Amino acid sequence: MAALTVPARSPRLAVWKALLIFAPMVLITLFLWVPKFTTGDPLITIVVALTWITFSALFFLMLITGKTHRYRSILFILVAISLPIEFIPWMIKTYGSMALTNEIMYSGGASFCPLTMPMVIVPALLKRVVIFPGELLPTGAHGAFAVMFIIWVGATLSLGRGWCSWGCFYGGWDEFFSRLRKKPLIKHQQIDRRWIYLPFGILLAIVLLSAITFAPIYCEWLCPFKIVTEFQAPATILAIIQIAIFIVLFIALVIVLPLLSKRRIQCGLFCPFGAMQSFFNKLNIFGVRIDPDKCSECELCLHTCPTFSLDEGSLASGKPLITCTKCAQCIDTCPKNAISYHIKGTPLKASPAVARVLYLYPAYILLLSLSGETVAPALLRILKLITTGSLL
Amino acid sequence: MMQGFLLGLANGTTCLAYCIPVLVPFLLQEGRNVRQNLVTMLKFLGGRLGGYVIFGLVAWATGNMLVAAANHQGLVIGTAYVGLSVLLLVAVLRKPVPTPGACAVRGAQTTFSRWPALLPVGMGFLAGLRICPPLLLAFADAANTRTLAGSLILFLTFFLGSSIYFVPLSFLGTWAHVSDLRLVGRFAAVIVAVYYLFSGILLFAGGV
Repeated sequence: MAALTVPARSPRLAVWKALLIFAPMVLITLFLWVPKFTTGDPLITIVVALTWITFSALFFLMLITGKTHRYRSILFILVAISLPIEFIPWMIKTYGSMALTNEIMYSGGASFCPLTMPMVIVPALLKRVVIFPGELLPTGAHGAFAVMFIIWVGATLSLGRGWCSWGCFYGGWDEFFSRLRKKPLIKHQQIDRRWIYLPFGILLAIVLLSAITFAPIYCEWLCPFKIVTEFQAPATILAIIQIAIFIVLFIALVIVLPLLSKRRIQCGLFCPFGAMQSFFNKLNIFGVRIDPDKCSECELCLHTCPTFSLDEGSLASGKPLITCTKCAQCIDTCPKNAISYHIKGTPLKASPAVARVLYLYPAYILLLSLSGETVAPALLRILKLITTGSLL
Repeated sequence: MMQGFLLGLANGTTCLAYCIPVLVPFLLQEGRNVRQNLVTMLKFLGGRLGGYVIFGLVAWATGNMLVAAANHQGLVIGTAYVGLSVLLLVAVLRKPVPTPGACAVRGAQTTFSRWPALLPVGMGFLAGLRICPPLLLAFADAANTRTLAGSLILFLTFFLGSSIYFVPLSFLGTWAHVSDLRLVGRFAAVIVAVYYLFSGILLFAGGV
């Protein structure tokens, strides 16, 4: 009961403090976005400015209100939903369809996706071959291996599995559907905890199978997001079966189950890339900690964690499982402010506000960088649709 | 004799790579220590030797004929894939109590719990039947020996040379105390089994 007597400290920041933290971020992001502002096309400048202002405003709200998850979620969902609005018309304009023919793949025309990373690492190390039909260096396609690899390494070192709530341009899909209902139809307790090991099982299987087949098995057979990006042309029965699997998985894991359970089912119980990122959580200096002196064991955090990263053991040990995506939903939800971002190696009670700001800087820069490639171009396409009647 | 051994030694990593997708999930889900894993590995290798002996006999009996017959290859590898997937699924399903599944699964569970060596031996045998590139090389060399003894010795020494690389897998048992890994191994085994089942059916069908 002693824990209940500890007063909850408000995570809100004074305006002058928030402005002080916000100012360097404005300078950094403006510097990064200068080439986007100065294209010479006034429509592009307006769209880029609109995107930058929206993202900056939400970041400022994040700082001043102390609510990280609330505003992160809006930005994260915006990025995910913008991706197909930008990418699909680009595919149609470039290749005539969302479907990739063998010729396009043989010429390395597929856009490289970070989810491929666990499958390409082993063959790349052993045989010096990148087993994905995409470009090594950027020329025409949307994602080249070298660019994605650098982004992934940087983001992974600075965020660990935080990638899954700040850097993944697919995660916003199931986050969106998981937020639509007020109450879950499938309750937290009804989901067998053993399913959290499925992504690790998929990771192990696809790494081993990809290493012997020299093919990205997950992309070929299991990726639900293929139907909102690109897939192999349905020229054979095999390709038709693959597309059918993508559709079923997308509907089940990204739409229906998140809607019913209010959980990010694809991210928490299926994605092998997320499982791989979990191991990097161990290397990353940022973590989430639960202060046992403040925790009243109300278990609200357990019931709201979207990726099943908290259990009774977490409350006892004072930290979430390695699958934590640092989305901050538990931090926002905790009525006692017992949960906070934390820098590993520092005392638990060392200023959580500082740890939060230090974490938010790289996380927000990553999210804003993604928005430059997704939200702004998608907005431009929507404006084109309104003015010309065509997304292309 | 040295020719087969050196061939096995030179290509053993490829043999290992072909067997790893089956072996790693299987050993993880069994959750045994290093010594027990070593015994399991010996059983697996024993089965694999059985597969190689059959190849030695076939190589001697047919010369190079079978190597050239792509249809037969598809049939043999397809059978091996389907067999491997069934054994992996049985390995996963034989653990839970009470027993789920149909009568056939329960029957298999009883059989495999009575003779626990059958599972790794069977897997090794089927893994030995899969025609991987190093095996094709050995097959061609064996066919050229023209005698039954020569052919069998070549496959036996090839087996010994390539088996060396399998021993380190036993050390997966150092993590036997991590119960979570057994669950990860089980999920991976099911996925690999489904993949092999599908690939086997496709090979039977001659591709789609």
